[in-house]
Amino acid sequence: MFPSRSDRSHRLRRAPLAALLAAALAVPLLWAAPTVNILETGSSLLYPLFNIWLPAYHRVHPNVRITTQSTGSGTGISQSTTGLAQIGASDAYMSPALERKYPGMLNIPLAISMQMVNYNLPGLNRRHLHLSGPVLAGIYSGHIVQWNDAAIRRLNPGVQLPDHAIIPVHRTDGSGDTFIFTQYLSFSTPSWANSVAYGTTVSWPAVSGGLGAEGNPGMVTAVHDNPYSIAYIGTSYENAIRRNGLGIAALKNRAGKFVLPTARTAKAAASKMVPKTPKNERISLIFAPGADSYPIINYEYAIVNRRQPSAQTAAALRDFFNWAISPTGGNAPRFINRVHFVPLPPPVVRLSRAQIAQIQ
Amino acid sequence: MFKLVTFRRFTAVLGGVVAAVLVAVVVFFVIYAWPAIRLNGWHFFTSNTWNTGNLYANPIERNGRMILPGAHYGILFLIAGTLLSTLIAVVLAVPIGAMAAVFLAECVPAQLRTAVSFFVELLAAIPSVVFGLWGYVVVIPFLGHHVYPWMTAHLGFLPFFSGAPGSGYGLLTAGLVLALMIVPLITATVRDALVSQYRGLRDAALALGATRFETLWTVQLPATRRVLVGSGILATGRALGETMAVLMISGNALNYLPRNIYSPISTMASFIVSQLDSALQDPTGLAVRSLGEVALALLLIAVVVNGAARLLLYYQDRTTGTTT
Repeated sequence: MFPSRSDRSHRLRRAPLAALLAAALAVPLLWAAPTVNILETGSSLLYPLFNIWLPAYHRVHPNVRITTQSTGSGTGISQSTTGLAQIGASDAYMSPALERKYPGMLNIPLAISMQMVNYNLPGLNRRHLHLSGPVLAGIYSGHIVQWNDAAIRRLNPGVQLPDHAIIPVHRTDGSGDTFIFTQYLSFSTPSWANSVAYGTTVSWPAVSGGLGAEGNPGMVTAVHDNPYSIAYIGTSYENAIRRNGLGIAALKNRAGKFVLPTARTAKAAASKMVPKTPKNERISLIFAPGADSYPIINYEYAIVNRRQPSAQTAAALRDFFNWAISPTGGNAPRFINRVHFVPLPPPVVRLSRAQIAQIQ
Repeated sequence: MFKLVTFRRFTAVLGGVVAAVLVAVVVFFVIYAWPAIRLNGWHFFTSNTWNTGNLYANPIERNGRMILPGAHYGILFLIAGTLLSTLIAVVLAVPIGAMAAVFLAECVPAQLRTAVSFFVELLAAIPSVVFGLWGYVVVIPFLGHHVYPWMTAHLGFLPFFSGAPGSGYGLLTAGLVLALMIVPLITATVRDALVSQYRGLRDAALALGATRFETLWTVQLPATRRVLVGSGILATGRALGETMAVLMISGNALNYLPRNIYSPISTMASFIVSQLDSALQDPTGLAVRSLGEVALALLLIAVVVNGAARLLLYYQDRTTGTTT
């Protein structure tokens, strides 16, 4: 039996009607679970991680909409303290003076990251040049201006270094990368500590030909476009560095060994610093002891206000952070490995959970 | 009658509001930046160090105000970057803009004139950030890899053209892109002036036996002198205050003066944008107030440049006796 022509057309006419009915039923259902909007802004080093976190988290929590922005840690700190953003991402913890000014802010580590020192030396990018804090301080303060300077040659015996001026590139925006890089220089080089010191912005000594760049992506472009340049770039951009064929330096650690930024050397450094982490988790992990320790690792912080405008937002934030730091959630290898980060060690996860519980 | 009075009052109020806003902005910035002005003193204009101090140290007291240790604010390098990039832009743009206007007014066939003029005006309407992006993606690699090395090799005998050709980010690039941005402003204004000129002037000159070029050079262009200077002032103002495009292509030099024409620079307007976030992290607030002082200084420079151009016109009018 075939349905008659009139029957078929009848069913066809009814199909849109059914869809309309279904839609009409679905709309109140969507309204019933109100959407919580959360804005994250700051660190361009943390941005690639948020970028892969959010779609995964959104699938399980469709009623929480988190927006991520790559600006700079400076923006992250300032916009979270003023309440413009709920989550301020920063590679640097807040300064003691800012902490006193905004006592309600929490600094919660979400992961451990590393920083590379990258360079663009035609013909030498596949070699991992050996560099030390004092040599980098010399380059960024204008005392070492040529690639074939004796100080660089001493660290790299047998490498044919070019007779060309070095173009040091630094961040122009307030940046956690600047903070951890200048901390490495300060902790390893007393003269740098006494003159420039460290911070999310420092007064870079005038170096002829030196460049400023905005954000980690800007740093990658600047190094790529300028042969003979050198820059400090977060490890979440390692894929971009490799794609562009740029060099990654082995840095001298506190024990005097030259180590490359790998998961192993980052974990070695973290293992030395985790026991020292205080309850408020504001600590520098830079220049850790240990022969295998990579010298520039840091906690990636979420800067969050203890007091949220609504209980709903607070609950959504707590849920998200607890998921983010969990080894089966956001700290799972499938997320962390893709950005070359290191998961939080269990003792730090416990400290972070205690801080997350304070968000109300 | 009543209606006319109401209308007059209405316009008076609106006109007053405009003036009041300008005064209010200046007064606000003076009050806001006052602590910075007092602390920075004249060094602000003569020294080359912008340093917010050690952000992670405890604030110390100086002259009864809390500041960060090491804080020092000097903007000579910003003033130099701003004035030099504007100078390059205006020196390039005024002749090009004026010649383009002559071309549009005199040489283009009438049926094409509207279309071509439309394109010039469209160029003036392009948001500056578009110019900046184009400069970043296209102009910088081209200039840095091809043009500047050639210029150092062949024009190195000129002062400021020798030395390291740099990477493409810098003074000349900023000047060139700024020039492109202000050319349409000048062209559009001068073209309108040429087209609306009294035709008798031109016809009289031609009738006296002047060539077309002589007519243009000795009669038509001098008659638009005021418009030319006026559009120059407008263009200078735009170049001085241009922010985004310059931010993307200037190289954002910090704390040093340009050594040659290829050197990275920073301008006052772009510096305010790039440093605001860092300044907000200064718990003493002095950094943001010092940025306010930069804004005030930029305003002052704009007023001085504008005033100087007007004075120039005034004295020229007195010496030549023209009253156009």
